Amino acid sequence: MIQTSPSVLSARGITKSFGGRAVLRGIDLDAQRGDVVTILGGSGSGKSTFLRCLNLLELPDAGTIEIAGTLAPLAHDRHGKARIANPKALNALRAKTAMVFQNFNLWSHMTVLDNVIAAPVHVHGVPRAQAVDRAHGLLEKVGMAGFAGHWPRQLSGGQQQRVAIARALATDPDLMLFDEPTSALDPERVREVLDLMRALAGEGRTMLIVTHEMAFARDVSSHVVHVRDGVIESVGPPSMMFGPDASPVFRAFLSPA
Amino acid sequence: MDFLGTTSLGLLRAVPVTVLLFLASALGASLVAAVLVAMQQARVTQGLARAWIFVFRGTPLLLQIFMVYYGIAALGPIRHGFLWPAFREPLFCAWLAMTCCCSAYIAEVLRGALGAIPVGQIEAALACGMGRWTRLRLIVAPQVLRLALPAYGNELVMMIKSTSLASSITVLDVTGVAQQVIAHSYRTLDVFCLAAAVYLGMTAALTAVLRRIERSLDPLGSARR
Repeated sequence: MIQTSPSVLSARGITKSFGGRAVLRGIDLDAQRGDVVTILGGSGSGKSTFLRCLNLLELPDAGTIEIAGTLAPLAHDRHGKARIANPKALNALRAKTAMVFQNFNLWSHMTVLDNVIAAPVHVHGVPRAQAVDRAHGLLEKVGMAGFAGHWPRQLSGGQQQRVAIARALATDPDLMLFDEPTSALDPERVREVLDLMRALAGEGRTMLIVTHEMAFARDVSSHVVHVRDGVIESVGPPSMMFGPDASPVFRAFLSPA
Repeated sequence: MDFLGTTSLGLLRAVPVTVLLFLASALGASLVAAVLVAMQQARVTQGLARAWIFVFRGTPLLLQIFMVYYGIAALGPIRHGFLWPAFREPLFCAWLAMTCCCSAYIAEVLRGALGAIPVGQIEAALACGMGRWTRLRLIVAPQVLRLALPAYGNELVMMIKSTSLASSITVLDVTGVAQQVIAHSYRTLDVFCLAAAVYLGMTAALTAVLRRIERSLDPLGSARR
């Protein structure tokens, strides 16, 4: 598919508060096709909330979001409270994205294969046989060939996350959102997931990754974003962010005295 | 044939009535319960669903059966209206009361199961753009079924036994026949023991069916470990 603009994500002025506490205080972020943007920040900085605002799992209080040419159908009621203007348009927007969660969130009543083909078949209307073919290819790619008939709880955390990544790839999304994909894994399992994500980045996937893996962010990102107190404190290519010109605040975050 | 033999036969002949009342009530109550749970999701209808559950769960089934059979069925508009052919039948009245009463319990079971679905699995469905109905069919309903089954099965077993209350409004179910036999034989204990054995047989069959379903929904058998 030819895109008239290479812009995959354009988020403007995203704000969000929970019960009067401002978690996001105006975040702008752009991503072009093939960008790998890592979002770093301390816990409570708002980085996960921001990611979840992009596919409207959290409803931002204000701001606009455009993903691959589709505007998020956000509206406000007469009290100024955010609401979804059009559920169909919302689903269409979400269908252009895919999310990988910290806790994998595989559907526990479905086999690995059914998890991977669910969105293509039931959201995108891909014929089942075709979806199954593609799913087998993806499972092989994530190193899970031969596990198609397994149930999620038969798998280790790392295996579940790799299946979740295959599930996310199954719809060939314009934008992949990773919400701390390795934070719930045993240290020895972290690598298998990071290696897989590294490979995806190499293929030109557009990825937004909230993570605590600094080395990964330095090696893989096209941009590193540092979120602090609900705003972007600094942003730049890894060579800048991890070099001597990085903001002192970010450097302090990297190596607290 | 001796007395116990003929009595057993008579009781077994009444099993279809009990089973029919049970199956019809289970079906009706489950459907109403699903509607009640759906109503609880929307603010406008929430109050009505809560009131229904409050009333039917909070009053004795026997009273509800009496109210339908002796009360509603005796009202003029019902007596002379098109519903009379239904309300004149004690079996129908028992079915109606059981459907209303048990729907309240089953709705609570389903609501509990709905709340027990891991939020993350719903979010995963939302995040890939699944519409409301797809989500319900693919993710929510199968999970509710699986989570609700043990408590739901319990409810069904209770319902089989509750059908015996229908005998109080002249339905000749297993209990009704037992009372009839006792009325002219005065052999209370052995007849009731036979009737109890018949109920035991029915609940055992139901339990076996439920266990099979539970196993088929849970192929790894983690629930049995």
